[in-house]
Amino acid sequence: MPGMTKKLDSSDKLAQMSLCIIDVAENRDKAAFARLFDHYAPLIRSYSLAREPGADLVADELVQEVMTRVWLKAAKYNPRLANLNTWIFTLARNCRIDYLRRNSRYVTEIDPTDIFNDMEDEGPGPFQLVQQSRVEENIREGLKQLPREQSEILTKVYLEGKSHQQASDELKLPLGTVKSRVRLALKKLEVLVPR
Amino acid sequence: MNKSLNHPNDELLTAYSAGSLPLSQALCISTHMEHCQSCGQRLQRLNRVGSQLMQQLKPSPASAELKSRLLDQLDSLTEEQSLAEAKPSESNSSIPRCLRQFIESGYEELPWRRVSSDIHSVELCRDSNGARVELLKIKPGGSATTHTHLGDEYTVILEGSFSDESGLYGQGDFMVKGAHDKHTPVATQDRECICLAVTEGPIQFTGFMSRLLNPFIRRSYA
Repeated sequence: MPGMTKKLDSSDKLAQMSLCIIDVAENRDKAAFARLFDHYAPLIRSYSLAREPGADLVADELVQEVMTRVWLKAAKYNPRLANLNTWIFTLARNCRIDYLRRNSRYVTEIDPTDIFNDMEDEGPGPFQLVQQSRVEENIREGLKQLPREQSEILTKVYLEGKSHQQASDELKLPLGTVKSRVRLALKKLEVLVPR
Repeated sequence: MNKSLNHPNDELLTAYSAGSLPLSQALCISTHMEHCQSCGQRLQRLNRVGSQLMQQLKPSPASAELKSRLLDQLDSLTEEQSLAEAKPSESNSSIPRCLRQFIESGYEELPWRRVSSDIHSVELCRDSNGARVELLKIKPGGSATTHTHLGDEYTVILEGSFSDESGLYGQGDFMVKGAHDKHTPVATQDRECICLAVTEGPIQFTGFMSRLLNPFIRRSYA
């Protein structure tokens, strides 16, 4: 691929997987789908287990849901809106939200599928992609350099799906401290747009 | 980015991206983003944080059984899909995509209830945290009387515009009012204003006459 100066394992993998999704979209290629499964299913399981440690059945159910959507939506996936890793993350997040809603003690009729669009072409107002690869690398490198207390809090928020309040309760930290740590971490990763 | 008051703040957008926001609030943010490209881009950046964190997780191997079960289902999935896609596609109305689950045809067809001479409202649903999701319709030049809330109130303007003590708001604008912020939205003269409103606790009207109404309003939340 032109433009890739640095050879990183993770970006090689991403490039490989991006070819697989095209094969799935255009040729309904099951072997390509199997390769996507091999790479992403273990990550989806870990994502689920981060929130509910030990809940293997829940993790498998999430894999089933997400990979089903990958198969069905491959043709609608638009790499200009999000790279494949990010698309899979949003699918996993959306499926988890739906799972939690269906299994909640208090029901709501709000259907999350209509709220969180899956970065498809027909989604509302196609957002332009902001310089993808650079942002990506900043985040990857930035995460390595975050102080432990900041990466810990991002894990709580993004992987365990905790609200700031829940994170504050669990870490026995004032809510304000949790908020400022999240903010500092995101600033260092350069994902907040300055106003 | 200008007018930062009329967009969700970083904290809300991060929670949205992480998937930890109550669905009623997420509904407001999605509605806003259908009008706001810059918040869409902010969200994309935040999503990448989740994506990278996920990539760095220690993989937890999936069983061969799970894989073969899924692979066996692919053909029937494709079949179901082509059946589903044969159905007529949804209309391209002006109603935000994420609200169409509650509004089938148009705003006019909804069972609006009169709240005051200036305001009508219709409840769309409740969130699992008890928050009330409703539409408010303010007549041209009408006022939503001074009110405060027991919890936060999230508002997105769907049609028309209104102004209050802090400025003028138009289609797509998003705002949060805290429990103690008093405000008096007034719709502009040219047309009626329709808003999506999510309230976490009962609204308190603070005018003299309306104060008498509060006990009745509160009861409807019981």
